[in-house]
Amino acid sequence: MISVKKVDNRPLNWLERIYLPEIARGLAVTLRHFFVNLFNPKGMPTVQYPEQQLELPHAAKTRTRHRLKLRADNSPKCVACFMCQTACPAYCIRIEAAEYPDNAVEKYPAVFDIDLARCVMCGMCVEACPEDAIAMDTLEIPGGEQDRARLKLTKEDLLRNLPGEPSVVGAANRLANEYLKSKGGA
Amino acid sequence: MTEFYAANSDLILFAGAAAFKTLVFLNGVMGFTALLTLAERKVSALMQDRIGPNRASLFGLALNGLFHPVADGIKMVMKEDFVPGRAEKLLFTLAPFFALVPVLALFSVIPFGDYVMVFGYQLDLQIADVPLGLFLVLALSGLAIYGVFLGGWSAKNNFALLGALRGAAQMISYEVVLGLTLVGLLMIFGSASLQDIVRAQGRLLFGWLPAWGVVYQPFAFILFLVAAVAENKRTPFDLVEGESEIIGYFMEYSSMRFAAFMFSEFVEIILISMLASTLFFGGWQVPYLYESGFILPGGKALALNHYLVALLQVGAFSAKTVFFSWFLLVVRWTLPRFRFDQLMGLCWKRLLPLALLNILVTGAVMLALGKV
Amino acid sequence: MPKLTIDGKTLEVAKGTTVLEAAQQLGVHVPRYCYHPKLSVSGNCRMCLVEVEKSPKLLTACSTEAAEGMVVHTATEKVKAARRDVLEYLLLNHPLDCPVCDQAGECGLQDYYMEHSRAKSRFPAEDKVRRQKRRPLGPHLVLDNERCILCTRCVRFCAEVTKTAELEVMERGDRSFIDLKEGRALDNGYSLNIADVCPVGAWTSRDFRFKQRVWFLKKTPTVCLGCATGCLTEVHHNEGAIYRVMPRPNAETNTWLCDAGRMVYKAVQAGDRLAKGVIKNGLIELEPALRETASRIDENHAAAAVLGSPWLSVEDNAALARLAKDALKTENFSFDFNAEQGIKDGILINKDPAPNAAGARRVKAACGGLSFGELAAKVASGAVKVLVTEARAAALLKNELKAGGARLIVFAANRSEIPQGAYATLPYANYFETPGTFVNFQGLERRTVPAVAAPEGVRPLWAMVNRLAVYSGTSLHLDSAEAALKGIL
Repeated sequence: MISVKKVDNRPLNWLERIYLPEIARGLAVTLRHFFVNLFNPKGMPTVQYPEQQLELPHAAKTRTRHRLKLRADNSPKCVACFMCQTACPAYCIRIEAAEYPDNAVEKYPAVFDIDLARCVMCGMCVEACPEDAIAMDTLEIPGGEQDRARLKLTKEDLLRNLPGEPSVVGAANRLANEYLKSKGGA
Repeated sequence: MTEFYAANSDLILFAGAAAFKTLVFLNGVMGFTALLTLAERKVSALMQDRIGPNRASLFGLALNGLFHPVADGIKMVMKEDFVPGRAEKLLFTLAPFFALVPVLALFSVIPFGDYVMVFGYQLDLQIADVPLGLFLVLALSGLAIYGVFLGGWSAKNNFALLGALRGAAQMISYEVVLGLTLVGLLMIFGSASLQDIVRAQGRLLFGWLPAWGVVYQPFAFILFLVAAVAENKRTPFDLVEGESEIIGYFMEYSSMRFAAFMFSEFVEIILISMLASTLFFGGWQVPYLYESGFILPGGKALALNHYLVALLQVGAFSAKTVFFSWFLLVVRWTLPRFRFDQLMGLCWKRLLPLALLNILVTGAVMLALGKV
Repeated sequence: MPKLTIDGKTLEVAKGTTVLEAAQQLGVHVPRYCYHPKLSVSGNCRMCLVEVEKSPKLLTACSTEAAEGMVVHTATEKVKAARRDVLEYLLLNHPLDCPVCDQAGECGLQDYYMEHSRAKSRFPAEDKVRRQKRRPLGPHLVLDNERCILCTRCVRFCAEVTKTAELEVMERGDRSFIDLKEGRALDNGYSLNIADVCPVGAWTSRDFRFKQRVWFLKKTPTVCLGCATGCLTEVHHNEGAIYRVMPRPNAETNTWLCDAGRMVYKAVQAGDRLAKGVIKNGLIELEPALRETASRIDENHAAAAVLGSPWLSVEDNAALARLAKDALKTENFSFDFNAEQGIKDGILINKDPAPNAAGARRVKAACGGLSFGELAAKVASGAVKVLVTEARAAALLKNELKAGGARLIVFAANRSEIPQGAYATLPYANYFETPGTFVNFQGLERRTVPAVAAPEGVRPLWAMVNRLAVYSGTSLHLDSAEAALKGIL
């Protein structure tokens, strides 16, 4: 249903037609803002972004810079299934898979690049991940850079666990958990 | 040679003084223009609950954006200076000068103070006291149309040409009103020299009211302000070139040529402010301040040093200029734009008859009072 | 000719046709795992259960012969429930390691689960039967017994197609698993077909392993150039790189594809791919190489010879013929190749390893020229001073070249192809990169379709011949592959 707003297009009356009182009214509005802000700059809503940051609202916390989670033995949880690359609407993820010789998980990402210059921070990669390996909860908001290359995150940039990571074992991957157990991990 | 100097010492002194005054005054105006570009952004920001530019910094010192005019200038110089292949090269190059030079030349006739005695030499605080100063103002401001029209035409771009046509139509129309609003003043003060007009405004009416132009001609002042803003091509009359929405006559210009057009717009703001204060608000006059000091209507007197008086007068003129400049910025960020038919209708159907009526009424009153 | 009704539609089929095949003729897809049109019917997966009126139980469509008056329903509630239950049963012990499994995306379990079941597993993960994972078997394959659903397609393939029977189902019941017979190796030359027929991720290709997810792959239908059989294939590629070659089953030539044929693509993206000219083992830019080659040919204008190649397409052979006839104006050219042809092993591999001897003979039929023996004799005698040919064809004249001492100018796609003693080598775009017509041993004309782009600066061979002729001062007007073909096919 289209909402309709009736506009009252009545003709201007005499006072309005000579503009001057209306101009004065307009000036009163703008001048009020001007002087209020001039003498009380703290009242303005502007946030001086990089120096001053608001706390992110709940959902936005999970739309910050990506990270790749680690297992207890510091191997990436990621098994290079390419689900995030497939789901990514901005084509910003590039993965090259490789094979572990011993680890029962068999597959791991040899290359895992995220191009933040392309990323739209939609979080589809996190949704798609079947291994709970990628997250966007670092609370870092990627900003501008002088050089495109610096917006490219490699696997090394991405791999990190947050302090007090809820679980480094007990991931979706049964084989990984068993492998860690056999290695004597927690 | 010495004979030549001896015989022409007056002339040489006059020329030297004029050159000095030009240097100081124009540099002051230019500096103020640069600050005005920042002021425009700051004023609009404050009116819109924003902070405005505050990032350009020198040695880590931002000073709330004071260096932005410098940054803008450097950026403008660094940009590619582009000339379209089909443009009329000569006129394309000349157009920015046509926009800027007449406006700058106008400052020569504006009195920014009375006079100062320097080592016994009377230094008039005006670059050139032209007897027909007011007509020179109208004549030179008419030349600025060439900047608009040549800029738009020589680029050989259809949109620029349309912008130039709009600009020429608008400027010529409002030029008429601008001239007519000043006729009343000419009649009252009986002189076209701006210094004479300012001096005449030093008198008092009824013993207490300063005899400023706005007191004689309040109506003409409003008409003058409207026509002058239109002449300046700024909102609400910015149909010639409307920043983000309307492509204008200097669309093919880049780098410093573009900057010249933008700069001339800001210089014009100062010019309008100075003209308004000179013609209607007493110029450098401070109420009740005379050559010897303050003499209040009650008869109380406060003797002041000659230099202090000159300083107060120049200060008063500067303050009035700054106020009107600020007022013009506020007006620009308050009013929405006119449609082009409204713009033309306002000029020819409202302002022009009113200006003519103002002349008639002024003449009738003067006749009635027997001042002719 | 029994007449039967499937889902309300009646049709008549040949005697011996199964219900599943009859449904296929009607365009009704009956889900299946163990059934394969080219293998014997096994009937063990139970996925193809359909309801037949007057039959007390559901029947397997793959093993039930169509009979007169049969009324079949493939979409009743009973059938749907049966499919759900069969899937639940097949997935009981499945490890669900799809993220690491290469079959994901073309997996029968995934497809049918989404289509027919979508039920949550009621079986606790701890109780699942465990089996050996990741076990390389043979030169090309990896076996993951945990993913296996025991459809025995692989066992039947080895028993019936290659007749080598290396594989067998070991043990019984829920302990059964697929394994090699003792003392055998899975190296029958067709082993990669096992990865194709496997409906799940139990058998996967080692060459393709973890290279690319299948849903990224684009498919280009083309022709195998591994031998004169000329099997129809499908090249799977993505972003300019080929990842695997699969068979394109057809009635004339092939259902399967041999392991050697699947590896032909490797040369395309091998590290020794030529993008520049080679003069006496030194790489130089293409233009100077062409100029040098042209001047060497011009030096011995009268004593130059051209040999076509059974490895080149008809277009490129025709371009070489034009070079000999119109640019060099010589009679010393041959497109006569008579290697013995025919299926060597009873399945696919041909006695003639070159794909286009028949095509070259068509060029001979149109343009004439010497027989291969006559040209060989001229080369051996030293009457030929410059020989222009393709790298692998030059090997056919190895001894004659040594004896006659002619200067050898070859076209080669890879550096490893360049024969010993070649004076100049020019690169050309191979047939994964440019279209070409090939004639297989049955006389069937087949065109390759380019799947990827040639390395920068590398053109098809006919275009290189055109340039060469221009440097020699003749224009052959070979502006397209069609221009080269004119008057040949």
